[in-house]
Amino acid sequence: MTGGDSRQRIEAYLGTLRGRLRGIPEQEVREIVDELRSHIIDRAAASGEITATGVDAALAALGTPEELASQYMTDNLLARAEVSRSPVRILRSLFRWASLSVAGFCVLLGSSVGYFFGAVFILVGTLKPFHPHSAGLWIFPNGPGDYEMSFRLGFGSVPAGGRDLLGWWIVPIGWIAGCGLVMLTTHIAVWFVRQYRKSWALARG
Amino acid sequence: MKERGPRDQETDDKWEVQLRKGCLELAIMAALWGGRRYGLEILRQLESDSDLIVSEGTIYPLLSRLKAMGLVSSEWVESDAGHPRKYYALTRTGRQRAIEMARVWKRFSSSMSELLAPLAKENR
Repeated sequence: MTGGDSRQRIEAYLGTLRGRLRGIPEQEVREIVDELRSHIIDRAAASGEITATGVDAALAALGTPEELASQYMTDNLLARAEVSRSPVRILRSLFRWASLSVAGFCVLLGSSVGYFFGAVFILVGTLKPFHPHSAGLWIFPNGPGDYEMSFRLGFGSVPAGGRDLLGWWIVPIGWIAGCGLVMLTTHIAVWFVRQYRKSWALARG
Repeated sequence: MKERGPRDQETDDKWEVQLRKGCLELAIMAALWGGRRYGLEILRQLESDSDLIVSEGTIYPLLSRLKAMGLVSSEWVESDAGHPRKYYALTRTGRQRAIEMARVWKRFSSSMSELLAPLAKENR
């Protein structure tokens, strides 16, 4: 094996690893790959030159690229979710978790609903000043004895017989309830992630 | 008495691996206590001072996690070897966390030693 072959083997290993790091931001993937390349070269060239046996030993000691990638993926994304309060980051981590287990999928589903309603509350509260006569929480008749309640952003006309339930109160209520819902969803999602990471760390072995 | 089979051996090994992994985070932070180091340096120190390392690959995802948690920071530094190396250092939060963890560890290990004292005598 020549020096060129050794380099090729290193790049093949890193290529497989890179392919498995889906979901992690590109900048971080580049850092992970650069760091491991630096590690492999340092370790393989312990006696000066990079030797074929040195590269083999370095790659074997790292473990397979698949194992390594899976440690980065789950550990990293969920750890980030644990310390993060950003819904975008949490949802991204939950997407990854959902691809791994049914529990993850359920948490993703629940969190999406929570964030969706939180966003709707905030949006309606924000749009009320722009559409004072049509935005808000509306109730209108839907057949005899049946009523339907809906959030209206104020685009389009109000259905006949409808009543604006909260009036201007939708502005403070929308903001408080919306932010509260987003925060509550985040707390619950992080709690689930924490429980999962505890059980996962034990099962990993 | 029942014979101990290969399965028992496997369970023993798993327990040991988990024990090592559980301590690795604190060990890495202890290795960084004296100043910044890059991955291979941390590995070398852990290898010479302890027998904690199971697979060399384990410490890189762990370092990345410590960074995501804000316990360590990292920077790329050019080296004489002709390629840059990623150095890690404890952040202020990391130093506080390490002190706390060391305190918990000390309490834990001394109560464990006390508990295990009769077993150690048995072994002699």
